[in-house]
Amino acid sequence: MGLKFRKRKEALEQEFDRELRFHIDELTDKNIASGMSRNEAHRQAMAEFGAKERVAEQLREVHQIPVIESFGKNLNFALRLMVKSPLFSAAIILTLALGVGANSAVFSALDAVLLRPLPFPHPAELVMVRQYNSANQSPSPFVAPVAPVRLEDWNRMSSAFQAITGYYTENESETSGPVPEKLTEAFVAPRFLQVWGVAPELGRDFSPAEERFGGPSVVLISERFWRRRFNADVNVIGKSLHFGSPVAGHRSAAYTIIGVISSSFLFPNRDVDAWSPVPKDAPYAQSRENTWYTCFGRLKPGVQLEQAAADVARVQAELGREFPKTDADLSVTLVPAKEVIVGESRASLWILFGSVTLLLLLACTNIAALLLARMTDREHEISVRFSLGASRTTVMWQLLTEIFVLALFGSLAGLALAAGAAKLFRTFTPNLPRVERISLDWRIVCYSLVCALVVTFLCGLLPGLRGTRGRLALANDGRTQVSGKSPAQWILVGAQVALAVILLVGAGLLQRSLQELARVSPGFDPGHVLTLQISESYGETADMKALTERSKHILDAIRTIPGVEAAANLSSLPGLPGQSQTELKILEGEQDPNRKIFADSRFVSPGYFDVMRIPVLAGEPCQETTRPTVVVNRTFANTYFGETTAIRHHIARLQTSQFSLAGEIQGVAADSREQGLNTEPMPTVYWCSSVAFPGTYYALRTRVAPMTLADTVRRIVHSIEPNRSVFDIQPLTQRLSDSFAEDRLRTTLLSLFAVTAVSLACLGIYATLSYFVSMRRREVGLRLALGASRQNIALRFLLQGLRVSAIGCVAGLGLAAASVRVLSGMLYGVSRFDPATFGGVVALVLAIGCLATVLPAIRAARTPPMNVLREQ
Amino acid sequence: MPSDTKSDLLQGTLDLLILKVLTLGPNHGYGISQRLRQISKDVLQVQQGSLYPALHRLEKRGWLESAWRQAESGRQAKFYKLSAKGRKQLAHEEFTWQRIARAIYLVLQTVE
Repeated sequence: MGLKFRKRKEALEQEFDRELRFHIDELTDKNIASGMSRNEAHRQAMAEFGAKERVAEQLREVHQIPVIESFGKNLNFALRLMVKSPLFSAAIILTLALGVGANSAVFSALDAVLLRPLPFPHPAELVMVRQYNSANQSPSPFVAPVAPVRLEDWNRMSSAFQAITGYYTENESETSGPVPEKLTEAFVAPRFLQVWGVAPELGRDFSPAEERFGGPSVVLISERFWRRRFNADVNVIGKSLHFGSPVAGHRSAAYTIIGVISSSFLFPNRDVDAWSPVPKDAPYAQSRENTWYTCFGRLKPGVQLEQAAADVARVQAELGREFPKTDADLSVTLVPAKEVIVGESRASLWILFGSVTLLLLLACTNIAALLLARMTDREHEISVRFSLGASRTTVMWQLLTEIFVLALFGSLAGLALAAGAAKLFRTFTPNLPRVERISLDWRIVCYSLVCALVVTFLCGLLPGLRGTRGRLALANDGRTQVSGKSPAQWILVGAQVALAVILLVGAGLLQRSLQELARVSPGFDPGHVLTLQISESYGETADMKALTERSKHILDAIRTIPGVEAAANLSSLPGLPGQSQTELKILEGEQDPNRKIFADSRFVSPGYFDVMRIPVLAGEPCQETTRPTVVVNRTFANTYFGETTAIRHHIARLQTSQFSLAGEIQGVAADSREQGLNTEPMPTVYWCSSVAFPGTYYALRTRVAPMTLADTVRRIVHSIEPNRSVFDIQPLTQRLSDSFAEDRLRTTLLSLFAVTAVSLACLGIYATLSYFVSMRRREVGLRLALGASRQNIALRFLLQGLRVSAIGCVAGLGLAAASVRVLSGMLYGVSRFDPATFGGVVALVLAIGCLATVLPAIRAARTPPMNVLREQ
Repeated sequence: MPSDTKSDLLQGTLDLLILKVLTLGPNHGYGISQRLRQISKDVLQVQQGSLYPALHRLEKRGWLESAWRQAESGRQAKFYKLSAKGRKQLAHEEFTWQRIARAIYLVLQTVE
């Protein structure tokens, strides 16, 4: 476009030149005809014509495009004005830099996490396929993994899908190196890459032969692992990895590398190093009760989610008739893949975005008030422009350009801020899905520019309209009257207070919630507990007896480490949200068939209650016994046994898989918040068992700082189990704290926004009142001269400031009460309308309102009356 | 300056004069300026610095149309001619001018 524009300009120039030269030539001819010499004639013609260049210049002006031309002029003027009042400009630019910067930063996160499609082809077709037991009426229906045969049935019978696939992950020890390296391996059903629509960066997908039982063992590796281990060697195809059979003495299995998968493929999660196929015809994969897979499918193009859901429901109903024992109670739901991946961060991000937008709005209001005040000073200049023939539109554009220049500078500074924020997000919320995609790119730059435009209109329209209203203001004698102008300014100040109150209430509620959470007594003692995992494989479950022996052996070895007070292994860590409500029955006595028994099921080894320091109230804790025993918590005992003592009753899990599970209640433990610090203890059953499955944690109560034992544990485990790797070593306190990282970040950011908002509002009150006071110096002087007391004067201004704060406060509280609904899922232990928070905010805002008004009020009272009266 | 026989044109009147001159037929800038001088018996002398911008402005407003053609001297020249819109505008401006002239005349008469 620029080129076309320039070409048009050149053509115009040539035409001007030709046209004017013709005129001169004709004049010259005329002069020659009247008898002059050629030279003389030409000289005379030139003189008569006048400066040709000046005429051309005037022609150029006629042809200029008015908007661009006047914009350029306005821009020039705006820049000069900016330099002329640097402090004022700096204040506005800084305010906007913060406002736009914070907004763009949060938008960059929102954009990367929520708005952008998943990085797969046709991502809208990807859905998670979940099964749940519809007969199970537990409050959180257990989302069970899917049996391989059922997955194949779904894939074959459903007509809505291009393909359905599944996966599960295990931690493997790769034993080619001197020490075993822990790898995360995904075991995938057939059609895995096909569903995601990706191809290996290097090499190829699994072949049908490799997906058959007894076929070659192959593996696809991640780009990350490829770079780390193979230095990005392109000849890696065909090399082998050795996944240690963790059973000592057994030969480890060799897997041939057939391809490398790009690091942009982060599925099932960003830690996966290798993918291997699971043969669907393997003998161990034929039971409908074996449950392994998390399933995803790709819908056929154009198929809607509801159609597909109806289709799989039909398929599952058919399967239910065919296999009543295993499939009749199962229902299937579909969840868009993006929902699954984005998950709970959606609400947090929108709340943050809402807050920064409020903040930006507040910044705009603040600036509008500032500009409004300055408009009065510029009244004279504007009237001069009017009297020189400028139209209202022209003057408006001029004013808006001025603001736009400031907004542009502010936005650019804000962009720099946003660029830093991407790093901040990556550091502080590593668990945020898709966090690695947050970056500064052209979308964010465009967003900031749009922000600058919106800001320009928000800030500039009111001052512009007001400033250009009094076209005849020139008639004023210079003694400016402000009384008629104050309401708009005060409304703006009130709006700032109201916006700040909304943010304060939000931040206050989240803070109170965190406080409450910190006050919670979890029922277990997470201090001085080291937690870790040791690589295991599901393959070991084939020989349960040996597995039990090995697990006990490892535990015994760990217990011998000096500094270790107690050690246990456990199926899931206490205090962290997990799954698993299961339905149970009590074997003794008559069962009321309508009374369902649900409990949180946990597998813990002997020593667990010592490690966690959970008191055992009656009976015995878990011990090494050959008969199956369980410990229940107090809530379980009270809920399901009431008066009768729970001990020595037998409970069993309702049959949901081929593993039956039953045990005698041997003890009652105190309640502890196993399911999360923010979750009330629920009925819980601890199945006493030392067997370590993949995903089992080891927990050690230490006498010293927990992490100091990490190396010792590694060494000891290596000495007795050289093929296993120890990984994921962390103090329990760290894990608990990490589980609230997002809550904390959300709270910190919102608090930061609220503090900024209050400061801005405070500044707004102060500036407006100061301005007001200075405008009314004459009146104040007169009043003082007529005998008004200084206290009286101060009080008048003080009350004026406070009245605005109070009105803003009330409006803000109303808005806040209407909007705290969005926080409802994020609060713990405080009501949405927590009186302490609301009261505190009111007190704080009024106190700050006082603080902001007191100085200008005192200044007003100190007005020396005689001086002022003499001034005018 | 009563001794000055050449009058500066009143703002706005130049447009009217250009339009009027062009009712005689298409003409180029030089021709228009010569014609004006001729008709006004050398009283009205248009500065080229006003004439050309005025021509371009009128063309931009759509009151004139232009084309490059050969002039009598054989050179290529930009010829302007009245558009339909320009004709209407001329009628309007002539009417306004006459009204004002009459008014001024009346004032002059009365005060003397």
